[in-house]
Amino acid sequence: MMPSPATPALPAHFFKAWTPRVAAFAVLGFTLLALAAAPAQAGSRLLATGAVTAIEGAAGGGLSPWAVLSGTPSDEEVGVTATATRAWVDDYQLTVTGASLNVYDRLEVSVARQTLDLETLGGELEQDIYAAKLRLFGDVLYHPLGIWSIGGQHKRVSDGTIPAALGAQHTQGNDVYLSGSKLLFSAFAGRNVLLNATLRNTSANQGGLLGFGGDQGGRSWVAEGGVGVFITPRWIVGTEYRQKPDNLSAAREDDWQSLYSAYFFNKHLSLTAAWLDLGTIAGLPSQQGGYLSLQTAL
Amino acid sequence: MRRTLLAFTLAGLAMMLTACAQHQTTLYERLGGQTNIDAVVENFLYRVADDTELVGFFANTNIDKLAASLGSMICDVSDGPCHYEGPPMDRAHQHMGLTDRHFNRLVEHLDTAMQAEEVPISARNVLLGRLAPMHADVMRYQ
Repeated sequence: MMPSPATPALPAHFFKAWTPRVAAFAVLGFTLLALAAAPAQAGSRLLATGAVTAIEGAAGGGLSPWAVLSGTPSDEEVGVTATATRAWVDDYQLTVTGASLNVYDRLEVSVARQTLDLETLGGELEQDIYAAKLRLFGDVLYHPLGIWSIGGQHKRVSDGTIPAALGAQHTQGNDVYLSGSKLLFSAFAGRNVLLNATLRNTSANQGGLLGFGGDQGGRSWVAEGGVGVFITPRWIVGTEYRQKPDNLSAAREDDWQSLYSAYFFNKHLSLTAAWLDLGTIAGLPSQQGGYLSLQTAL
Repeated sequence: MRRTLLAFTLAGLAMMLTACAQHQTTLYERLGGQTNIDAVVENFLYRVADDTELVGFFANTNIDKLAASLGSMICDVSDGPCHYEGPPMDRAHQHMGLTDRHFNRLVEHLDTAMQAEEVPISARNVLLGRLAPMHADVMRYQ
C-alpha cells in the first residue's frame, strides 16, 4: 500500500517525519474499519483495565504512564489502540496522536507525535516518542500487589533551534520508568479506587518538547502518581501529579497536575476530559486549561 | 490550585476511611440474602451456558450441584450463615486448561448477573474484591 523507504520517488525525510502520525492514523482507520466489520471483537480483560492514553503514548492516565498495558488483551491475545488528544492552556496548544500495540498483555509498544503550538511566542515544537512497556508481574485486579511494569521512551525533537536557544544540551533523550498500579475494591463510598505510582529517570525538559538536559542539570529521578475513583465500572474521575526536572535556568519548569474524568463507552472507545495545571512553560507562568482525548481500541 | 488539589485528595482519603467504618450490615445481607444470591447464581449460570467459549467446561457437570455449591461459597465468602464444604478452588479447577480469557469472561458474567439481579454497586464491588484473589488458586494447576 505504501512504498518502502528505499523507493526513490520520495525523500527519506518524508518517512522520517511522518512515520508516527501515519502509523497513528493507519491504526485509527484500521481500528474503525475493523470495528464496523466485527463489533464483537475485543480482548477479554475487563472494561477500563487498559486505562486511557497518556500524552507520551503509553497506557496511562493522561499525564503519566500507568503499569497496565493498553487495550484489553489477556495472556493469549493482542490488541491495538489509537488516540487523538488535544490540550489547551493559556499560551499553548498541544496535539498528540498516538498508537500502541499490546502483545499478550506482556509487552506494549507505542508511537506518539506531540505538536506544541506556541500561540503567544509564535512557532511550534514537535517531538516523536517511540516507547515500550514490559509487564514484570501481577494484575491490576487479581494480584494482591497489583501490576508492575518497566518502560522506556525514546524521544526526538524535530527542530532543536528553540530548545538549544533556551540552553538544552540535546535534541534526543531516553526516559526509563518503573510503574505500579492497583485497584482497591470498594475502597471509597463503595466504589473501586485505582492507585498508580511511577518513578521515572529522565533528562527531558517539559517532557522533551524543550530538549534534554541543561545548565541546571542532566538526568534525574522524578515521581509521578495518581488516584482515581470508579464512580461506575465505566466512569473514573481522579487526579494525577507529575514531578518534573528543572534543567533550564532560562525556562524554569513546574510539576504538572490534572483532574480527570474518563468514560469508557465500551472496550473500543473511551473519552477523557481533564483540567490541567502545568505551571510555567518557557517563561510564561501558570499555564492552565482543558484536555480532551479520544481512544479507540481493538 | 496546588493546595486545592492536595485538600481534595486528603478529603477523599478521609471520606474513604469513614466509609470503611460505616458498613455494619454483612455483605450477605447487602447481596439480598440467600434468595438473591441463588438468583444471581442462576442468572450467572444461564449466561455461562450461553457462552460458547465456556459451556464446554461444564459438559460433564451436574448443574444443580454446581449451583448449590456456588450459592454456598458466595454465602460463606459474604459472611452469611453457611460453611462452604466444596473442594478448594485450586483442586476444583485443576487441569481444565483454563486461561485468563476464561477467568475474565466468568468475572464479566458474574458482574452482569449481579447487575441483572439488582445488587447495588457497593456490594458488587466488595464481593468482586473478595473473589479476585481466587484467580491465583484457580490458575494454580492449569
